[in-house]
Amino acid sequence: MSFSQQQQSDQGPALVYPRPAGLKDEVYAPDGSMRSHWEYLLDSLNVLGSDALSERQRKAERILRDDGATYTLSSASLASHTWGLDPIPLLIGSEEWSQIETGLSERAELLDLLLKDIYGPRELLRSGILPAELLYSHSGFLRPCQDIKLRGDNQLILHSADMIRGADGNMVIIGDRTQTPSGAGYALENRTVMRRVFPSLFRDSHVHRLSLFFTTLRHTLTRLAPPANLSGGELPSIVILTPGAYSETYFEHTYLANYLGYPLVQGGDLTVRNGYVWMKSLDGLTRVDVILRRVDDNYCDPVELKSDSRLGVPGLLEVVRSGRVVVANPMGSSVLENTALMKYMPQISQFFLGHELQLASVTTYWCGESDDLAHVVANIDKLVIKRCARRAGEFSVFGCDLSASERLQLIERIRLNPLHYTAQEYVAPSSAPSWNKGTLQSRPSVLRSFSVAGEGSYSVMSGGMTRVGVEQDSRLISNQIGSLSKDTWVLASEPEKQLTLQAGPGGESLSQIHQYTNLPSRMVENLFWMGRYSERADAAIRVLRTVFVQLNSAVILPKGADRLLLRAVSEVTLTLPGFTKDNLDLLRKPEPELLSVISDAQRVGSVKASLIAMLNCAEEVKELLSADIQRIINDIRDELNGLEDAVTKGMASAPEETLDPLISALLALSGLYQDSMFRGLGWRFLQIGRRLEKAQQIASLLRHLLVPVNVDPSEPLALESALLSTEALNTYRRRFRAETNIISGLGLLLIDRSNPRSLIYQLDKLFKDLSELPHRSKGPELPHTQRLVLEVSAAVRLADMRALATVDEKLQSRVQLDKLLQQVQQRLNETAIAVSEDFFDHTGGPQQLVNTGWNGEL
Amino acid sequence: MIYRIRHLTEYEYQHPVSLCYNLAHLQPRNTSYQSCLSSKLQINPMPAYSRKRKDYFGNNILHFSIEEPHKKLSVEITSDIRIDEGRASPELNLDLGSTCAQALEALRQNQTKPTLEAREFVLDSPMVKVMDALRDYAAPSFAADRPLLSAARDLTHRIFTDFTYDPAFTTVATPLSDVLEHRRGVCQDFAHLAIGCLRALGYPARYVSGYLETLPPPGQVKLVGSDASHAWFSLYSPDEGWFEFDPTNDNMPAEQHITTAWGRDYSDVAPLRGVLFDGGKPQPPRVAVDVQRLET
Repeated sequence: MSFSQQQQSDQGPALVYPRPAGLKDEVYAPDGSMRSHWEYLLDSLNVLGSDALSERQRKAERILRDDGATYTLSSASLASHTWGLDPIPLLIGSEEWSQIETGLSERAELLDLLLKDIYGPRELLRSGILPAELLYSHSGFLRPCQDIKLRGDNQLILHSADMIRGADGNMVIIGDRTQTPSGAGYALENRTVMRRVFPSLFRDSHVHRLSLFFTTLRHTLTRLAPPANLSGGELPSIVILTPGAYSETYFEHTYLANYLGYPLVQGGDLTVRNGYVWMKSLDGLTRVDVILRRVDDNYCDPVELKSDSRLGVPGLLEVVRSGRVVVANPMGSSVLENTALMKYMPQISQFFLGHELQLASVTTYWCGESDDLAHVVANIDKLVIKRCARRAGEFSVFGCDLSASERLQLIERIRLNPLHYTAQEYVAPSSAPSWNKGTLQSRPSVLRSFSVAGEGSYSVMSGGMTRVGVEQDSRLISNQIGSLSKDTWVLASEPEKQLTLQAGPGGESLSQIHQYTNLPSRMVENLFWMGRYSERADAAIRVLRTVFVQLNSAVILPKGADRLLLRAVSEVTLTLPGFTKDNLDLLRKPEPELLSVISDAQRVGSVKASLIAMLNCAEEVKELLSADIQRIINDIRDELNGLEDAVTKGMASAPEETLDPLISALLALSGLYQDSMFRGLGWRFLQIGRRLEKAQQIASLLRHLLVPVNVDPSEPLALESALLSTEALNTYRRRFRAETNIISGLGLLLIDRSNPRSLIYQLDKLFKDLSELPHRSKGPELPHTQRLVLEVSAAVRLADMRALATVDEKLQSRVQLDKLLQQVQQRLNETAIAVSEDFFDHTGGPQQLVNTGWNGEL
Repeated sequence: MIYRIRHLTEYEYQHPVSLCYNLAHLQPRNTSYQSCLSSKLQINPMPAYSRKRKDYFGNNILHFSIEEPHKKLSVEITSDIRIDEGRASPELNLDLGSTCAQALEALRQNQTKPTLEAREFVLDSPMVKVMDALRDYAAPSFAADRPLLSAARDLTHRIFTDFTYDPAFTTVATPLSDVLEHRRGVCQDFAHLAIGCLRALGYPARYVSGYLETLPPPGQVKLVGSDASHAWFSLYSPDEGWFEFDPTNDNMPAEQHITTAWGRDYSDVAPLRGVLFDGGKPQPPRVAVDVQRLET
């Protein structure tokens, strides 16, 4: 043991888990004695003390946040919730687990047989075991999936079950997840965090490892690949299909993609051609052999299933049917999630296996049977009502929570559609210790298990994801309402040898950032825009900061200076019309407009809007970003949440300082782009985006500060502001000491190759990055993109600074400078368009041949 | 009777379509009274992928995709179909057979395969959802002791009498409640309406798509392309089988009705559906159908 009794006094009050009264409990047996497999953990926690445990929990939260572990509750990009982890694991003894494991494996086998029957001969219907309506009325029964078969023995590849401890003390199944079971990735993340936070406790507890489950998953997916797709020795190409960054479990998709080493794709990244599925990548189309999907059944193919789905791949089901791609779990498998099936599990099991299941299902009534309906109506206060087909955002209803009139309404709804409702006996979950405000309190818990088809039988993850109720008497336990999760420790009788997916000492830790040789075009495009938006935000912050500094300086500004500076803010950020309208009220009292340019998320060009756009791009490429980048991204997200308040408060005293944390974060980010990213094509596009945007911003800044000469040209203010905005003022002063001189200033900003914020520096880098891209044109000429950049960089380099500085007195303007910068802006725009045309995907969204108003859903 | 049926569908797009994936229910299926002697399909431009199979309901279905840019798509199918005599003879006495009450009881009790499978057609389907208004409209025809087939024939006749055939009123997407309220529609609507009525009372009913031979007025020559695709419904009576009724023409389909496919409703058997990329604003297709009698 790593800590001793003597330390207790330093570690805060002792931690004791009191026996909850009158509840089934995981720790205490009905006779009040502590179950032996909990003793070591509770003793250790007791010694550790509450202060130390609080500290460990904060550490766990930090790790989760840094890993970007979220569970998205709404589609707003700033609303991601960090995954909540209770630092007290749920313990299961090895003897009990081996029974549970056998039961789960048997259940998965039975569901597999059931799935084959439903989309095959439907013997269960014909022999009268299942009522015809139970199957035919369920929206998960997808008629186009009839007779589709995966290679190998199993149709059902992944199975999850939710279970609680029943009245007799044995586990009882309350629900199955069969179309896109989620949670295995969260279980892995929970484990990774727990191992880091409680290294010695974990080591000494002899906990079964999770990695075997993932190894089996990988082998199975590889084995499923259509052999005809592969020429000798070729490895199958496997991808994970996600609905995208707005999916509530998107973190898990990126996490699994990284851990398993498969590209994460969205429907739009895939296309069906020639009877095969292909990924649109920078190298053109690359064939896909196996798809591990997280998109729901009905959304997978708008041609044959839900016709207005934008998350799927048109034509996918027909490729599956012809055996040229394998989708796991197979489409149509949500039919097994019909809660009414639970009522018939004993008979189904008798029919297929000749005996009843070892793990019982909770007593279930199906309102499609008139006797059951009568029972449900009479006993609704004791039952949990569920729809046969789960719908997003819809929860189980606990009859006992309803008022008399609500019960009547519910009964009325059931009577209108009895086929679609089931009711289950309410079984209160057993309680387990949970860390809450410095004490150990009892909370109800539900365990989700994970099984994967292996060779011959199903392999069950030794552990799972436990979720705990928010309150001691919580009935509804769901991540969607903010329940915490727990790591689940299946205790081995002796230490297990280490078995991990990736070689190396990392254990179950997140693998090195996996670098795909092939990135989907969408990711590349997002990296490009991530680069552009981060530089756009950076430029906006810097010009704002400069303007604040100048406006608040002790020196009295020359006439017309405030107008010049404020106009430049509007022009550079493109938040027009802003100050460009010469509205005197606005110029006299600029604060509200400046505040809006900083923190109005709805205003395109504002700092906040650009940063949100950057965060959205980052979310799309999450699995390519290092943990350090992820941490800075999290900081920026936090900073943005409080931005408006901070700026409003700071406006009175030192508004320029309120923007400093964002500048620091963006600087850190640009350093990390250099230091922590693999130099693949993805990185190249990120850099191209940054260079392009930065060059654009420099050109725009100089054009709006130095071209108009409505202030006395001998005044240093405009040049100083330009230098300040580009961080070159100190260099300039050091180098030239004397009075500011527009000619030497222009030299430093335009053509000085040692100044990283000069235009030429950015153009040179841009040219170099573009030349690293794969060639799209056939001939010996330079590609279009490079020609454009070369043209402007030559023009800039050849420019005569004296001529550029010359003021046309009549126009009050530096005409030549204007012409040059305008040319730069225009060519860079053309470059951006050319990059997009050459490398990004331009297929529009799909539409239906005939719009029938129905969308293929019952 | 042998017919040659030519069915042409042409789409013209505002802008080139870069990719399209389609499903066609165009080749008539074989039934106990009808056989497809030959069928020839022409698709322009040439599909990059195409495959025929039987769908869930046993209909012929064709998958095809076009993967080159095209501004026009034409799908033409020519099939020769033989219809046997005696499919629904005028002598069929609808007053014999199960009563409505007996049929409902048999649906509940009968464990034969056809009856178990027919129960699928009692349930709501994507385009036909049971409403009280449908039940109310249907009820007068279905007295408990009336023979079921006679009741269905009566319903067919009432729809024919109460509703106006009006192609201007509905589209493929018009909901059943509008048809019922305004008492207007086309063959597809009337078939859906009858199916909804039957299901509301608990009887299995399915949608049948196909063609109808039309004869020109006496002394006139039949115009090419003047025919149309047609739709009607079929009712299941336990132990007696499926019986077809055509509410648009107030009859029971006989030798002039050619069946293409059947399903729960139109959405299961739409002649052509699919997903396309680009192409601009969707335009309605040009459709031409000829039903030509080759042999009597």
